[in-house]
Amino acid sequence: MKTLHLILVLIFMQQARAQDLGGNAEEGERLYYDFACYSCHGYNATMRVPLVGDASGIMNSEQLFLTYLRLRADQNPVNPKNSMPNYAVSTLSDEQAVDIYAYLRSLNDDPPELADNPVMQEMLDAAKARGKGNEK
Amino acid sequence: MTDAKRNKEKSGEISRRAFLGTSAGAAAASLLGKSEGAAAQTAPPAVRATLPGQSAEAADRDIGNARPPVAVRAVQRPGSDLMVQVLRDLEIEYVAANPAASFEGLQESIINYGDTPNKMPKFISALHEESSVDMAHGYAKAEGRPMAVLLHGTLGLMHSSMAIYQAYQYQTPILLIAGRDDTNFLRSQSANDIAGIVRSITKWDAHPRTLAGALDAIQEGYRQAITPPCGPALVVLDTELQKEEAGDMQVPAYVPPQITGISTGEVRAVAKALVAARNPRIAVGKLRTARGVSDAVELAELVGASTSTRATLVPMSFPQRHPLCGPGSDTDYDYTLGLETGGIQAAIIGPHRRTLEGRDVTGIGYGFIREPPTPLWGPYAPPKPSHNDMHADAEASLPAIIAEVHKIMSSSMSNAVAVRSKQHAAANHEAAVAALKKALEDRRRGWHGSPISLARLYAELWILIKDEDWCLASPTQFSSGHNRVLWDHNKPYSHLGMHGAGGIGYCIGASTGAALAAKHRDRIVINIQCDGDLNMVPGALWTAAHYRLPMLVVMHNNRAWHQELMYAQYMAGVRGRGGDRAHIGTTLRDPFISYAKMGAAYGVESEGPISDPSKLFAALKRGVDTVKQGRPYLIDVLTQPR
Ligand SMILES: Cc1ncc(C[n+]2csc(CCOP(=O)(O)OP(=O)(O)O)c2C)c(N)n1
Ligand SMILES: [Mg+2]
Repeated sequence: MKTLHLILVLIFMQQARAQDLGGNAEEGERLYYDFACYSCHGYNATMRVPLVGDASGIMNSEQLFLTYLRLRADQNPVNPKNSMPNYAVSTLSDEQAVDIYAYLRSLNDDPPELADNPVMQEMLDAAKARGKGNEK
Repeated sequence: MTDAKRNKEKSGEISRRAFLGTSAGAAAASLLGKSEGAAAQTAPPAVRATLPGQSAEAADRDIGNARPPVAVRAVQRPGSDLMVQVLRDLEIEYVAANPAASFEGLQESIINYGDTPNKMPKFISALHEESSVDMAHGYAKAEGRPMAVLLHGTLGLMHSSMAIYQAYQYQTPILLIAGRDDTNFLRSQSANDIAGIVRSITKWDAHPRTLAGALDAIQEGYRQAITPPCGPALVVLDTELQKEEAGDMQVPAYVPPQITGISTGEVRAVAKALVAARNPRIAVGKLRTARGVSDAVELAELVGASTSTRATLVPMSFPQRHPLCGPGSDTDYDYTLGLETGGIQAAIIGPHRRTLEGRDVTGIGYGFIREPPTPLWGPYAPPKPSHNDMHADAEASLPAIIAEVHKIMSSSMSNAVAVRSKQHAAANHEAAVAALKKALEDRRRGWHGSPISLARLYAELWILIKDEDWCLASPTQFSSGHNRVLWDHNKPYSHLGMHGAGGIGYCIGASTGAALAAKHRDRIVINIQCDGDLNMVPGALWTAAHYRLPMLVVMHNNRAWHQELMYAQYMAGVRGRGGDRAHIGTTLRDPFISYAKMGAAYGVESEGPISDPSKLFAALKRGVDTVKQGRPYLIDVLTQPR
């Protein structure tokens, strides 16, 4: 299964994004919510299984996105090891899927770097300082 | 007790005027249809509506028109005073209950008996019996010892049963007392063997028939609860015994249980192996008490063993940031000792609930007391016991192992231990900083997003509590458990772990119980509270407000039973239909619930909903500051689902 994934990924990596059909991002936003994609990916596609920006390989092209979605559906709709739900064509058409893709592409995430995030920096400094006592 | 104090407590600390409220007073009085002064004396009896099969006396009593005959209490030394003395001797701090007639004798003794009435134990009002037991569950996880719960006959036991079940699954000690009243009004609230209702999910029960037997049974219940396998133990106390004249009966002296550790031969073998090892390791699971934790630390330091911990998942494990905790400088361990954790070279594993098979009277096979009748995930395979496992309580084994190590350790070995420990400390520190750095990098995503990222919530909260004495009382898996990598779990009560059986509704009660434990210990309790859970038994909020408990409730408000939404979504996918309908029956929308209003309604200072992440830190700070002053605080935060 894994190898098959990889092969398909490689094949479709070849296909340029130029081939994108160009979905409707606005419609995609509605579908993303209605089909509860947010339930794992987060409302802004930044969470547990992130899709925003370059977080996920499946966002490389529309084709790849579609292929992944259908592969999941056709190969093994019941697979407890894969928590991605099955969205068969009968449930979510290619057109709708492409709208979702367009919506996801329209999102971006611009979190501060670690060094520019005072909260995270304070945590890291505290952890580093903790070691000081151990050196004695 | 001074008269002034007694009078203050008598009035419940809130005067009648305050009860009606200065501005609300008039409205309340008009509700009564009387002026405030006249209402008390002349209010007409409430209208009685008798139900089919209900006696007139019963109906009167239900609506509060009847008082029990005074003669019943006209005893010099009621049996329940002695029961309270037994609880006091056991140093039971709290008794949680929803009030009920079947234990009115005992309740009256708790609030009135002795020189320091209503103290050790203090009566804690719960709005639901499930809350009572959840409170006791949270308290015992934090303190490693039981508090008590009073339950009302058949009804109280039924209301509390899920909470009892979860404590049973978690092997948490609780002293349950059920009042039984066969003589009075609604017979349906009593039964011959009320303990039978929960027998399969308690460790032990007794229904004593004499007052002396009752006193013994309370002590034995306590012993049973704290002896491994720990768990809830139940004593049924008939109302007559509570009200009986005790005369000059003496309260028996409490004898603590003898909890056995490994044999002397095993002690020698373990000590020898630890001392002889070039690179020993100690894997620490969940011990019983803080004493066990400090003994585990002592042993690890003594032999210079790197350790693993479960402190990010359960209470009573090894301090996560202790210099020896981590992979150590060398991961080629030549001797690994497990303390309440199996599957390794040599493990000391205490008796577990599987040994209680005899109590599974229903034959249901609750919680793997027996093998479940049908395979769950493939054929059921119990964890493979290693032939090296030593079946005894690890905590009780530690003092003897420590003593033996002291005996056989030479000074040259001590030097080697010192060198090794230093190397471990350096390596563990480096590993911890690297792990944190990676964890933070992974958690930058969605930092500015709305709804609020749970990673951000955990991170910002951590900054505010890291220098406090805190206890994370809520299960964390539904909020993605960011504490595990972002926080430092160094106290026996740092994290109280899961529900016991995944039963929703546990969290708010258990956190309230943990806050009861925290109150006089200068500790604060953090409760990252799921919305679905809170809605099961929200009344615990009132208990927290009433007793001024230091509990910070940060809502993980994803406006859903989100776990179930994901299941429904998956199921629809499996069946190839309706992928856009999974929200039906799994979401808390239309209307949204206002948790700030809910908190306020129960008297908890509350704010929110907060969806702008830039507003979160200030809110959390207000919360932590309030809780540090000894008052609960609730912040409704609109969060990402996971
Ligand atoms: C008493 C009980 N009823 C139902 C369930 C099934 N259940 C499992 S998870 C869950 C959702 C809980 O919602 P919430 O506490 O808000 O957590 P979320 O998944 O939304 O983070 C439910 C209802 C349960 N575990 N316990
Ligand atoms: Mg929820």
